[in-house]
Amino acid sequence: MSTTALGPALARKRVLICVGSGGVGKTTVAATLALRAAVDGRDSLVCTIDPAKRLANSLGLSALGNAETQVPASALEPLGVTARASLHAMMLDMKQTWDDLITRVAPPEQRERILANRFYQSLSTALAGSQEYIAMEKVWELRRKGEYELVVLDTPPTAHALDFLDAPNRVLDFLDNEAAKWLLAPALKAGKLGMSLFNRSGYVLRALSKFTGTEMLQELSSFMLSLSGMNEGFRERARGVRALLEDASTGFVLVTSPHPERMDEAIHFSTLLKQHRMEVVALVVNRVHPLPTEAMWADAATLTPTRRAKVEETLRELQVLAEQDGRGIAQLQAACPGIPLIQVPRFGLDVHDITSLWQTGRFLLGDDTF
Amino acid sequence: MAGLLDKRLWVVSGKGGVGKSTVAAALALRSARAGRRTLVCEVNTQERISRFLEHPAAGPEVTLLEENLWAVDVRPQEAMREYGLMVLRFEALYKTVFENRLVRYFLRFIPSLQELVLLGKIMYHLQEKLPDGRWRFDTIVLDAPATGHAISFLSVPHVLVQTVPQGPMSREAQKMRDLLVDPAVTAAVLVALPEEMPVNEALELHAALKDKVHIRTHAAVLNQAIPERFTEADLEALAGHPELHRVAKANHDRASLTVLAGTKLERNLHAPVFNVPRLYLPTFGRDAIEQVMGHLEALVMGEK
Repeated sequence: MSTTALGPALARKRVLICVGSGGVGKTTVAATLALRAAVDGRDSLVCTIDPAKRLANSLGLSALGNAETQVPASALEPLGVTARASLHAMMLDMKQTWDDLITRVAPPEQRERILANRFYQSLSTALAGSQEYIAMEKVWELRRKGEYELVVLDTPPTAHALDFLDAPNRVLDFLDNEAAKWLLAPALKAGKLGMSLFNRSGYVLRALSKFTGTEMLQELSSFMLSLSGMNEGFRERARGVRALLEDASTGFVLVTSPHPERMDEAIHFSTLLKQHRMEVVALVVNRVHPLPTEAMWADAATLTPTRRAKVEETLRELQVLAEQDGRGIAQLQAACPGIPLIQVPRFGLDVHDITSLWQTGRFLLGDDTF
Repeated sequence: MAGLLDKRLWVVSGKGGVGKSTVAAALALRSARAGRRTLVCEVNTQERISRFLEHPAAGPEVTLLEENLWAVDVRPQEAMREYGLMVLRFEALYKTVFENRLVRYFLRFIPSLQELVLLGKIMYHLQEKLPDGRWRFDTIVLDAPATGHAISFLSVPHVLVQTVPQGPMSREAQKMRDLLVDPAVTAAVLVALPEEMPVNEALELHAALKDKVHIRTHAAVLNQAIPERFTEADLEALAGHPELHRVAKANHDRASLTVLAGTKLERNLHAPVFNVPRLYLPTFGRDAIEQVMGHLEALVMGEK
């Protein structure tokens, strides 16, 4: 029935990842895709990052938490459809998910030490890509458990597209780096990590400690020592996450606003995904202003002068915005040949209730078009 | 209300996509026009402000765009190098240390070092003086990252002061914190759109800046505001023209949202809200920035 590339993707993919700059409507698109897949018969989960409270409410949930919650059938009543499979939703709590991961992979005697270490705090919150990593790690975990036929991930607002794609590599790097082994090896052999670290490496490290202070370097080394106990489990998972991103059952949906000023970010993202051999299922251009039709102009001409002036002013404004959007879309299409492009119009108000999610879905799947 | 010109560091933030760079560009241009030597800083991003003003990209070096207006894109590698040279004093020593693979590896995992050097560069320019003793820059406009990233970026000095062992990093952090929290120096301008999420994010940002960073919200800018145009009577009269009614209703709803958003911001931020109407220009360049600037006159110059 569906005429867009998202139809087959919703029917066959196991994981869909919605990516794009902040404020373009990733959460809406992610929720819509999961809703549509559930209605069409696949057990689905949408994993969101920071949804509008009204979006949670529209799914019949008072709030979304770190646990997966089933969306009640009553929430779908306004649509006049019944879902043929279950729809679940959750909001990812980054810190909690990191703590869960450590609890799972760390040897019991090391757990508390790691969770309390300030380098752990920075790994789990501040390190570029760590939020992106933990979101994908969660999807990997969900996928492994296999309770859902489709998981749709809404990604965190990313300052840099590369942070997202590089996240598993960075984590692997953190664990794998030969430099760390070289520095730690003598200490590990001796069974403890002492000041020998700093005597041995001499002047480079002394100079480095001018920046950070000696204590900082010692703490970092000690943190890495405590991590070494969980390296294997951690590494295996990070490899799993990386493989998941490239897997044929995983697809990316790149969401963008149509504005030409914003298009370079979308094009950049799409280029990076391609370089990383990740499949972009569709480019979704969200909140496109439709061009006023001839009929509308003609109709406006029949109004009383004051109203006619107001309406024509509004149509002229829409015309400017629609032409702007048109240029942005043409740029995107030219820069990303071969990737299906789907336009969703800007609706009267923000998309926050189930009916407007459904309406968005009709455009995503091609039931309605411009 | 006093204008922003009384402050030296103007921090502009808000949700992604609300027009932070547009507002930062307009504020910087106005400050330069008022005769203040002004530096506008973007942080490690795809540079937009120089382009908005129709100049070549500034890049990581402080670059003069036009009279009284300089721009820089503060990037980690260059900022780290400047900081490194300041601490180590010798290029050769810097190279030995910073181009060492092991060191690069460690630096990546030192919590918040990157943010510290980025913010450090901005704070350095804030304190920089000319040979005659005047400030090199009277005003620095910081086009800060979006909400979440802005909070972690600006709280870095606080976090470091609290968590890092005494040493060079904590001393730097302490100095930066003192400047950031000084209400005579720093003022935040929060940008939002007349929509639910951007307004909520502005409120969250306001609370976090106040509680975690101790920066006061000077004002909010409600960007892409839609003025009221259609009355209820207009909408009723258009009932027989469904397509036009839809267009008019959408405009009417957005105008109501603009009023709601303005009220909500004003009540919760206890700060003035400046509306910048949505612009309808074929291209977004200098003309647009000049128009936006016109709507921010009282924000910069104060009420007459």
